[in-house]
Amino acid sequence: MSAIIVDNVSKKFRIPHEKKTTIFQNIAGLIKRRFDYEEFWALKDIGFEVGKGEALGIIGRNGSGKSTLLKILAKVLYPDSGSISLDGKVASFLQLGVGFQPELTARENIYIYSSILGLRRKQVDGLYEDILDFAELKKFENMKLKSFSSGMNLRLAFSTAIYAVPDTLLIDEVFAVGDESFKKKCRDKMDQFKAEGKTIVFVSHALDAVKELCQRTMLLNHGRIVTMGDTEKVINNYLAML
Amino acid sequence: MVTIVSKMWQYRELIRNLAVVDLKNRYQNTTLGFFWSLLSPLLLALVLYFIFRHLWGREQDFAINLMVGIMAWRFFANGTSSSLSAIVSKASLVTRVYIPRQILVLSNVLANTISSLLEFVVLLPIIFVLLGYLPVTVLLFPVVHLVYFWFIYGAGLLLSSLFVYFRDLNQIWQVVTQVLFFCSPIVYPLSIIPDNIMPYYLLNPVTLFMGMYRDLMVAGDLPSLYSLVVVIGFAIAAYLVGSFAFRKLQRRFAEEM
Repeated sequence: MSAIIVDNVSKKFRIPHEKKTTIFQNIAGLIKRRFDYEEFWALKDIGFEVGKGEALGIIGRNGSGKSTLLKILAKVLYPDSGSISLDGKVASFLQLGVGFQPELTARENIYIYSSILGLRRKQVDGLYEDILDFAELKKFENMKLKSFSSGMNLRLAFSTAIYAVPDTLLIDEVFAVGDESFKKKCRDKMDQFKAEGKTIVFVSHALDAVKELCQRTMLLNHGRIVTMGDTEKVINNYLAML
Repeated sequence: MVTIVSKMWQYRELIRNLAVVDLKNRYQNTTLGFFWSLLSPLLLALVLYFIFRHLWGREQDFAINLMVGIMAWRFFANGTSSSLSAIVSKASLVTRVYIPRQILVLSNVLANTISSLLEFVVLLPIIFVLLGYLPVTVLLFPVVHLVYFWFIYGAGLLLSSLFVYFRDLNQIWQVVTQVLFFCSPIVYPLSIIPDNIMPYYLLNPVTLFMGMYRDLMVAGDLPSLYSLVVVIGFAIAAYLVGSFAFRKLQRRFAEEM
């Protein structure tokens, strides 16, 4: 039973020699006959499957295509070829607190952020107290977000996000949040998700976190899969490569 | 087409929230904020009234027709120009999370629809005072407003997706709307347009919408079936072109931000 199937996905970026962002520049470019851009394959022939309830880690150097792959899974980017299919409700955490409005209160922002994650107002009503408790921000619920510290901001975002319980989580390096005690709570929550049989794809440079969370890991380099398999082995492989 | 509508339906909460945030920001979270926002159209109406009143027969009618014209115009001008940046200004909702991106345009146009609705409602007592009565046909106002909304949403889809790739489109659009302002019967009556250019003049959908608002709110006439059909045709065409272009162009939105 696969929750995620990625079949032969490739993604190409265009790197223009001269970026044209206006109609004027495009017309000028036509006259000067300069369409030139370089093509850069961020991902090439990627194919893999993730089973239901499995946690897959993705590691690799900067620029190896990890984040691009995660963005394609999140449907933020479209692949140039190949196909992906994801099962059930997907929540992507490429960044926490997307759509937060500094001029509104914590309370209002919880509702807005939840709706971005696809929740209905009634569902949030039931979770509201839990979210605030988990974030340890009960006292500040009616404060405008612009007066929040960055730590409070992230805690609020993280707590809201984890209560939007999806079937599949796509996570990009967002868990280095808050102090040690909050980090521990986050780790416990992730373990709980795993125990509940959620599918997780986790992109990180924190190899310890990958080791702890994921049974299987994929190593990317220059947009291609180098190896994929048992986390311990793949991490050793990666360390040897560096 | 059906799938995108059902996807957007799942996110109806978000559509509502974004529209509310938009309105709150626009009116600076104050109750008076809305009345401040009325100041500019009413002042504009006042200035235009004194400059152009000789172009109309009865000045009383001119005052009402002018105000209805300006409100109808504002819905189009504000709706399309704020749609332009609906995608670009919400970059994080495009590059950091998946939502059906049409939502960003829809919520923006909805917020404009509500603003416009409030502006028209404020006109009702003014019309009542100046005319001495309120035409019953006002009750059909929502029908025209709905079709107009649909037309502007279609135009907004097209403009917002093109703006991601062509960032000088806002300058161009500003000029286009300025030209359209004077190509619409706002400060002058439709009757001064020579017969030989009338067919071309009526190709401007804003003119048709304006005429229907005036029929319903001032003259107390039912709009002709012909103009209703043409206007719905415009709305469907704008929507089809807009959503087709949007679907094609949105694939590379995240890369172009």
